[in-house]
Amino acid sequence: MINRENRNPSVAAKPVAMKKPERFFAEQPPEKIEMAPGRLHQLTRRDALLFGAGALAAMVGGGSLLPQETFSRLGVRRNMDSPGKEWFLNQALRIDDDVAEALYSGNRRVPTYTKSQITPLKNNYNGATPDSGYISAWNLTLGGLASGLSISLDIRHLATRFSVHEQITRLVCVEGWSAVAWWAGLRFDDLLRGYPPMSQAKWARVESSVNLDASGNPDPYFMSLDLATARHPQTLLATHFNGQPLTVDHGAPLRLLVPVKLGLKNVKAITGITYLADEPKDYWAERGYSRYDGI
Amino acid sequence: MPNSTSTLPHQPYVLVAKRHHFLVRWSHWLNVPILLGLILSGISIYWASPVYQHKPDPTTGNFDVAADIGIWICAHVPGLHQYSNPSDLIYNHLSLGPGMLALALRLHWLCAYLFVLNGLMYVAGLVLGGGWRSLLPRRTDVLDALKMFRYYIGFPFAKLTRRKWLHPRFNTKYNALQRAAYFSVPVAGCLSATTGWAIHKPMQLHWLPAIFGGYNAARVWHFWLLWIYILFLVPHLALVFADGWDTLRSMIVGWSTRVEPSQVIAHDQ
Repeated sequence: MINRENRNPSVAAKPVAMKKPERFFAEQPPEKIEMAPGRLHQLTRRDALLFGAGALAAMVGGGSLLPQETFSRLGVRRNMDSPGKEWFLNQALRIDDDVAEALYSGNRRVPTYTKSQITPLKNNYNGATPDSGYISAWNLTLGGLASGLSISLDIRHLATRFSVHEQITRLVCVEGWSAVAWWAGLRFDDLLRGYPPMSQAKWARVESSVNLDASGNPDPYFMSLDLATARHPQTLLATHFNGQPLTVDHGAPLRLLVPVKLGLKNVKAITGITYLADEPKDYWAERGYSRYDGI
Repeated sequence: MPNSTSTLPHQPYVLVAKRHHFLVRWSHWLNVPILLGLILSGISIYWASPVYQHKPDPTTGNFDVAADIGIWICAHVPGLHQYSNPSDLIYNHLSLGPGMLALALRLHWLCAYLFVLNGLMYVAGLVLGGGWRSLLPRRTDVLDALKMFRYYIGFPFAKLTRRKWLHPRFNTKYNALQRAAYFSVPVAGCLSATTGWAIHKPMQLHWLPAIFGGYNAARVWHFWLLWIYILFLVPHLALVFADGWDTLRSMIVGWSTRVEPSQVIAHDQ
């Protein structure tokens, strides 16, 4: 606004001549303007009001995005959640997922580590850990195949038909912790080649029917995985952890190991994989987390 | 009685100096809600997996140092002895709250993108307004900053004892201590953004956490950078209010009525 005043000195303001700076990095003397006091007060009032209104708008707009739990603790009883607020915050989540997808490259390998860099990995089952009884009757069911059939594979078949790959990679949890562990198993890509999905498939729904909630009741776990990530050479269907067959804690007999995704996509005790053309539902996306989860 | 049609022989003008480009002013104020959102949601995210942990306490099972601080405060501060959940005291008051990771992450990403865009707006304002020159460190800054520090520390004592306490002389827009602060905070902003991306995309951008010493170290960097803003904010607010309306106005409307550095010093005294 002061620039406008400069160009039009008749409105009681005029620039004061000043010297050009001598050196590029040297501080320049400030631009000085002569102004009528009345005009000065008027501009001050206008800009202060404008900034005040902006501050108020930012406070109300930003504040309304706070979670309901935060409002409750501040003593606000009214329900401040609205479809618009949900939509807006989910848009931010979608943008971040799109950025993650754009950053992904099928040719980029994640860093690998040496055995001396292995760190402990806790049992991070969200609910209760299932009883090992399920293992004897365990099968992996594949659906959405090019053949149109639904097939069941046992662990012996999976372990002998496909070549074994080993890797020591970092598993990163959405909570922020991480663990370096030594995994072995077959490549998801090899399974996709062995049992090709239908041609229009872009997604895999990976599920575990043995998952339990915190009180021990069945709580099937389901997760969406884009096939581009499933084909990554470091995406394994792991059968071994730190040189030993998987224990129940870590998803015996077969778990997904997808180091380019957050830990919550690394489904334990997989019981079914279904190939789909459209993005399937995701257990944690339904609970407010992002869907793509690429890291 | 002067004739209303005659022109006045001398019109009383005031001289004002341009201080801040309007992009610098807007980005400065937008930092308030954005940084507040980042800090509150950030501490909620920290709750899910604290960087500073110890072996679980045998009786309470608590392993979080921030929870320990809450428990200690509740045990020692009168009026807080009855607080229902001492281990959540810190999170209940300095974050969005415990147990809301998904909500906190959503807000943190939103604010993080806005913070980066706002940072670019600030840089654009510095370039367009030429203000970046005033932020560059100088060779004499270490000594001058010490002089300023001595001045600020001694100032309240000198006021109380009504002694003369001379402001160090300088002929730049900012004194050395201000320059150090106003230069470091944008650098901290850049580091917060880069360590944030290092934690956010440790696989696709694996060279980024490597710069900061690995994924876990990048989390520690990101955590401590938060304290830079808090450390900056305390004297920043105190000095703006001590300095008065002209300084505050210069960040709202862009100009100051103190046109020479000597006037700034005279006012400070």
